[in-house]
Formats: sequence, structure tokens, C-alpha cells
Amino acid sequence: MDKLLLLFWTFLKVNLLSTSGPASVGLLYKEAVGHFLTEQQFIQAVGFSTLLPGSDALQLAMFIGYTIAGIPGGTVALFGAILPPTVLMFGVVSVLHRLRRESWVGSFVEGLTPAVAVLMLFVAWKVFKGGNGGLGWQSLIIGGASLAALIFELPAPLVILVAGLTGVLLFR
Amino acid sequence: MNPPAKVSVWLKLFWMFLKVNLLTTSGPASVGLLYKESVGTIMSEAQFIEAVGLSNVLPGSEALKLAMFVGFAAGGFPGVLTALVGAVLPPTIIMLTVVSVLERYQSETWMENFIKGMSPAVGVLIALVAWQIFRSDASKSIGRRALAIGAVAFVALWFDLPSPLVLFGAGILGVFLFR
Repeated sequence: MDKLLLLFWTFLKVNLLSTSGPASVGLLYKEAVGHFLTEQQFIQAVGFSTLLPGSDALQLAMFIGYTIAGIPGGTVALFGAILPPTVLMFGVVSVLHRLRRESWVGSFVEGLTPAVAVLMLFVAWKVFKGGNGGLGWQSLIIGGASLAALIFELPAPLVILVAGLTGVLLFR
Repeated sequence: MNPPAKVSVWLKLFWMFLKVNLLTTSGPASVGLLYKESVGTIMSEAQFIEAVGLSNVLPGSEALKLAMFVGFAAGGFPGVLTALVGAVLPPTIIMLTVVSVLERYQSETWMENFIKGMSPAVGVLIALVAWQIFRSDASKSIGRRALAIGAVAFVALWFDLPSPLVLFGAGILGVFLFR
């Protein structure tokens, strides 16, 4: 029961403080890894939600919720992720005509954005180093190749998949 | 704005979001396909631009916000619900299947190595998304204030302040700075 509440609260918080699935990864790492999720599980969740079709935010919730507490966990996490945008949208949509776009919500998110970016850089570095601390030559090669591929705008799901497969070949 | 609420519109919305969420891998990536599917058929270009703009500005999953905006424009509140269900269904079912299959291979060496291989790529991906998020903000001619908030956030995170607090503080700062 405690676990379910924790999952719900975590995803509610994460989805209130970020504006899209990819942008929520930083906060999610800080809130989950070390508390109820291992770094490996986190990387797997981010990797697979990038790889598979559909909203990243929902897939992260589903994957992490299920990993921690089975189907009830997945349901509760999903619900926590769906609630904030739904409630906000219903609110915003129904008062949209009177409320201007320059409402305080807009400025709040505008202020949030640089902080989200900085947080993501911290997390990116931690994830890059990997759970086992060591930065092997394999990781550097895969990281460098991924950077080049992403800068040349190859699709992210493809890059993640190839990186994983390369890992299977290189680490053994 | 009171569009006619017809069952056929709701069905169309449901099918459209089911399709868009099956064929794209994240909210921001789905904008292109959604544009092709919805503009001219159920909503105008101006409505679409407003939907994308507002979903960038509100917190929460982008895919869901887009679904709800488009749903509302085309079919009122019932439209919102059908679009929402269409957007939630594919990732939920796919992820549930994948995660229950993965459980069986969790302890295999090749799975461990697959994750090890993904780690640097995921790290690079997160860093690049961070850069995009920061830059799209700075290009709106508010670079200096965004930089200031970024710097404050960096110091706060460096000293291990709780991240929800840092983000919330940055938002509050935004309310005062971006008036």
C-alpha cells in the first residue's frame, strides 16, 4: 500500500513540474533512483520508453510502476501521470477564452524550463557514467557514436536500439 | 465555440489518436503526424497552432495535452475523453506487454549488457534534449533571464538541494521575472 501511494505521489509531482515526457526524465531520476528504483531499472525504463511507440511520460509511469509493484503499481503510476495534465487542461480549456496566454502558468513554466534543462544535464552525466561507476572504453565509443548520430538527426529510437545491441556485442 | 457533438466525430478522434500514438514514440515527435491527420479534417491550422503552443506551456505529458486540445476543438468535452483514451491505450498496453516479457530475461547477461550499451546513448539523448529545451527558451529573446535561472538552478543542484524544490523555485522566479 505504501509503495502504491509513493508511486502515485512521485508521478503526480513529476508530471506537475515538467512539460513533456523527455523533459521529465531529470526529475524522475532524482525522485526515484536510490529510493525505490535502481539505476539499471531507470535506464531500462528510459531506453524502452524511447524505443516503443506512444507517449514517453505514460510509458515511464507504466514501466516503473509495474517494476515496483506489478499491475496495481503500473495503474497507480499511470493515473498519477494522467491526472495533472487532464485537470489543468479541463481548467484551462474552459476558461481559455477569458484567460490570456500570458497567465502566471505560462511564466511559471518559462521559469521552470532552464532549471529543468540544468537538472537534465546532471542526470545525463550520471546516466552516462552508468551504475557501475567505471567509464569503460566501450561506453565512450557508444556515447560518442550516439552523439554523432543524434546530432545528424537520426531517429532517437533507432540510436537507442543500436546502442543496446552494440552493448550486447561489446560487453562480454 | 460549440462544435456539433456527433458520435462519428468522437470515433474519428479515438481512431486518430490511437494511430498517432502507435506510430510515434513520444509527444513532441507526434506533432508532425498529428498535423497531417487533423488540420483540414477536424480543425483549422490556427486551432492546431494554439493547441501545440498551449501544450508547450502547461505541465504534464505533451501527448496527453495535445490529445485533449484537439479533442476539445473537434468534439467538446466528450471529444476530450475519447481522444484521451485513444492516446493512453497504446503506450499502456505495449508497455505492459513488454515489461511482463522483460521480467523473464531480467537476469540474463545479454539483457544486462543491452542496458549497459543503452546507458551512454540514453545519457547523450538526455543531454541533447536538455540543450533543446534550454535553447528553445532562450530564442524567445529572454536569454538573460533564462540564463540567470539556469545558473541559480545549477548552484542549487550542485549543493544537492531537493530537485522538486529547485524546479518549483525556478517556476516561482519565472512568475516574477517573465511578467
